[in-house]
Amino acid sequence: MPKIQNLDDAATVIIDAQQNKRRLELRGLGTKTALGNQPEYDDCLDVSAMQGIIDYQPEELVLTVRAGTALSAIEAELAKANQMLAFEPADLSGILASKSTGTIGGVLATNLSGPRRLTAGAARDFLLGFDAVSGRGERFKSGGRVMKNVTGYDLSKLICGSYGTLAVVDEVTIKTLPRPETSLSLLFGCDDMKSAVAQIAAIFASPHEPGAAAILPQSVAATAGLDMAAAMIVVIRLEGIALSVEDRAAHLRHMGRRDRGGVVGTLPQAASEALWARIRDVDLLAHTSGDIWKLSCAPASAPAIVAAMESSFETTFYADWAGGLLWFAGPSGAEFGTALRAALMTHGGGHAQLLCDRAMSKTNVPVFQPLPPAQASLTKRVKAAFDPLGVLNFGRMHNGI
Amino acid sequence: MQMPEPDQQIIARRESICAALGKLVPAGSVVSSEEGRRAYDADGLSAYRQLPLAVILPETVEQLAAVMKFCHAEGIKVVPRGAGTSLSGGALPLADAVLIGLGKFNRILDIDYANRCVVAQPGVTNLAITHAVQGNGFYYAPDPSSQTACSVGGNVAENSGGVHCLKYGLTTNNLLGIELVTIEGDVLRLGGKHLDSGDYDLMGVMTGSEGLLGIVSEVTLRILQKPATQRALLVGFDDTAAAATAVGDVIGAGIIPAGMEMMDGLAINAAEDFVHAGYPRDAAALIIVELDGPEVEVDALIDRVAGIMNKAGASSIKISTSEEERNLFWAGRKSAFPAVGRISPDYLCMDGTIPRRRLPDMMVLMATLSQKYGLRVANVFHAGDGNLHPLILFDANQPGELQRAEDFGADILRGCVEMGGVLTGEHGVGVEKRDLMPIQFTEDDMKQQQRLKCAFDADHLLNPGKVFPHLHRCAELGRLHVHKGNMPFPDLPRF
Repeated sequence: MPKIQNLDDAATVIIDAQQNKRRLELRGLGTKTALGNQPEYDDCLDVSAMQGIIDYQPEELVLTVRAGTALSAIEAELAKANQMLAFEPADLSGILASKSTGTIGGVLATNLSGPRRLTAGAARDFLLGFDAVSGRGERFKSGGRVMKNVTGYDLSKLICGSYGTLAVVDEVTIKTLPRPETSLSLLFGCDDMKSAVAQIAAIFASPHEPGAAAILPQSVAATAGLDMAAAMIVVIRLEGIALSVEDRAAHLRHMGRRDRGGVVGTLPQAASEALWARIRDVDLLAHTSGDIWKLSCAPASAPAIVAAMESSFETTFYADWAGGLLWFAGPSGAEFGTALRAALMTHGGGHAQLLCDRAMSKTNVPVFQPLPPAQASLTKRVKAAFDPLGVLNFGRMHNGI
Repeated sequence: MQMPEPDQQIIARRESICAALGKLVPAGSVVSSEEGRRAYDADGLSAYRQLPLAVILPETVEQLAAVMKFCHAEGIKVVPRGAGTSLSGGALPLADAVLIGLGKFNRILDIDYANRCVVAQPGVTNLAITHAVQGNGFYYAPDPSSQTACSVGGNVAENSGGVHCLKYGLTTNNLLGIELVTIEGDVLRLGGKHLDSGDYDLMGVMTGSEGLLGIVSEVTLRILQKPATQRALLVGFDDTAAAATAVGDVIGAGIIPAGMEMMDGLAINAAEDFVHAGYPRDAAALIIVELDGPEVEVDALIDRVAGIMNKAGASSIKISTSEEERNLFWAGRKSAFPAVGRISPDYLCMDGTIPRRRLPDMMVLMATLSQKYGLRVANVFHAGDGNLHPLILFDANQPGELQRAEDFGADILRGCVEMGGVLTGEHGVGVEKRDLMPIQFTEDDMKQQQRLKCAFDADHLLNPGKVFPHLHRCAELGRLHVHKGNMPFPDLPRF
């Protein structure tokens, strides 16, 4: 397997592959190979040697790092300056049975974002620029090393979430943010999904700056060690300086008493962080059998989607992003995913992805939301603009892409 | 500024083209008279003017799609236009292109508090979004200074920012969905009321594409609850380098202000003469820091910021104690452009970004260039994110001064790139910075961007002559194995 040291190596390998009509699978630490489809490939292209922090300027909120650098190494470096990757990338090693959290390149390639995505943005919002070799075997760069930049097309957005189907990326520049000085979570009890989503909407219609919002059904909350009487537990995370967090918590407790349900608990920082890590990492569904699906939907549509699924299937779910992200564990096979997509279409649209495929369901149901015809043909043309011969991760996302 | 050579055959067909377009839209929606077209001959970069072939003002997405389909079939170029406030010439007409104005797409379609978003047509103004939701305590965060006039469709095309984007992001970070009409007349819906899709982020690429990839016919924007409190500090420094360091110190201390602006001595005095905001006239640099959020947080952070500023050597600090005073602090900054307009017959507004730590070097460079070109420069910065707005003062009636001012501006932008920054932070490339693109990008970088363009618009019909200094045929860009210095076909001539 060719292990490249830099983009010149990558270009050589790619051009060689073009000439010999071979396809390549890009591989970092191999922690996310289970995401997406298995691409068609003849050789692996190992990018994990492209490691190291190139430049980090905490006062500029800018980090430049090679894409093969381990996420854990980056997070450790940022922690030294009291900063973080604000999009809160998930550690899926638990549910994907992989060895580590993988590389920053893998995080960006899958646009993997956690609970703070709701208020701070996704991975794609934090990539400021990159250097790469396209599937044509040509070097190019896009964006820059500064926070504010509209020069040329924003290819950073396109590269994020492209699952390595467009280019091999080396240096990436990422916006960093200060870590909040402290945090806590408030727990609200609600009778059902509808009142849970309404409770969250009321909180987001207040000026008390919730930073993350999840909904845990009673059984899932029990998995997380929360023994609550309510059918649904709304978890609201508050972050910031201590004075502010306490003040906002007081206001929200008051709202909780005033509204139906009420506040049923407060998690101090350590317990709050531990719970949110489990929410982020889908660890709360790790004990389930069958497949795990990730749904991105309009938050207010979540109750109807959940109701539709619960009426037909044995399923366990919970919600993040104020209801806009639904994690479902359900039976393997095509039927569950097809029903999810139908429910999604009936209730405002969105995206359903088969995230954790435990029984080769992907042979019967598309991993990613199928694209409407005009978008599918545009997507194919975009792929061809970067990788006309389909050398890189061919078929990883969709048929031919 | 050279634009692509107009196609005389298209120009010769003007009347029949107008007649055909007239069948696709309601009566009165095609502007063909010279005086009618005159109203559209420039955008916010008024140094450049050109009468369009025709102006068409569709009212529905079906009409817009039909117009695009017609233009595509006939090989007629298209220039999209929102409110025409671009500062980089993004909506500059072409003699052989139909200008499509989105002014009649002026309705807010859906205010959805449950999903915290607004669905609007592209011709709605930026500020109208906030006005529509402020009764419920919400607002739309991106606030370009033209927000009373600029359209949200134009905001998407330019990825507009504003003074609060340090904390709240640019348009791209506040956009949930778009409807897009391609040059072929296809209508695509990307995103929606949900956050992320697992597809190629075509909406992200459309944002800031300056009208070269498609026309946005609907937007879904995220709205936020208005912060409980806003307070500002007005801080004077005798030394620009110390001021620049202080800005970094605030962020290094873990504080992200809602806005952090800087002005230099010339800008301070011009603004003070104009609005009497109580700015320190003898300061070399003035910083305005705005903090927003819960009252206890803002009060605590104001004290911390004041401490940091003192330690960094501030010569004066004022803290707003009322909304009136906070607005007064901003009044000078917000009127900086007209204030500079009072002290000089003309000015050019530049828009580069640098890594903030290079600000002292940039000030030295600007002073040197000011000497070299014999022109004054006043500086207004979005200091928090390193986005510079140097205003180069000149008199267009003096022979050669416009050229000198443009050369001065180009040298500043060259300096931005050399210091690790970029050509444009928020105004866009348009025609204004088109020929400077090679300073920042290699030929290969730009070719890859143009290949993306080809995926959307294979015939280069959408807004040609903007952003890229050289146009390459898509067939040529698509060829593989072009070895360096040994091109199988020479580039098309530079226009």
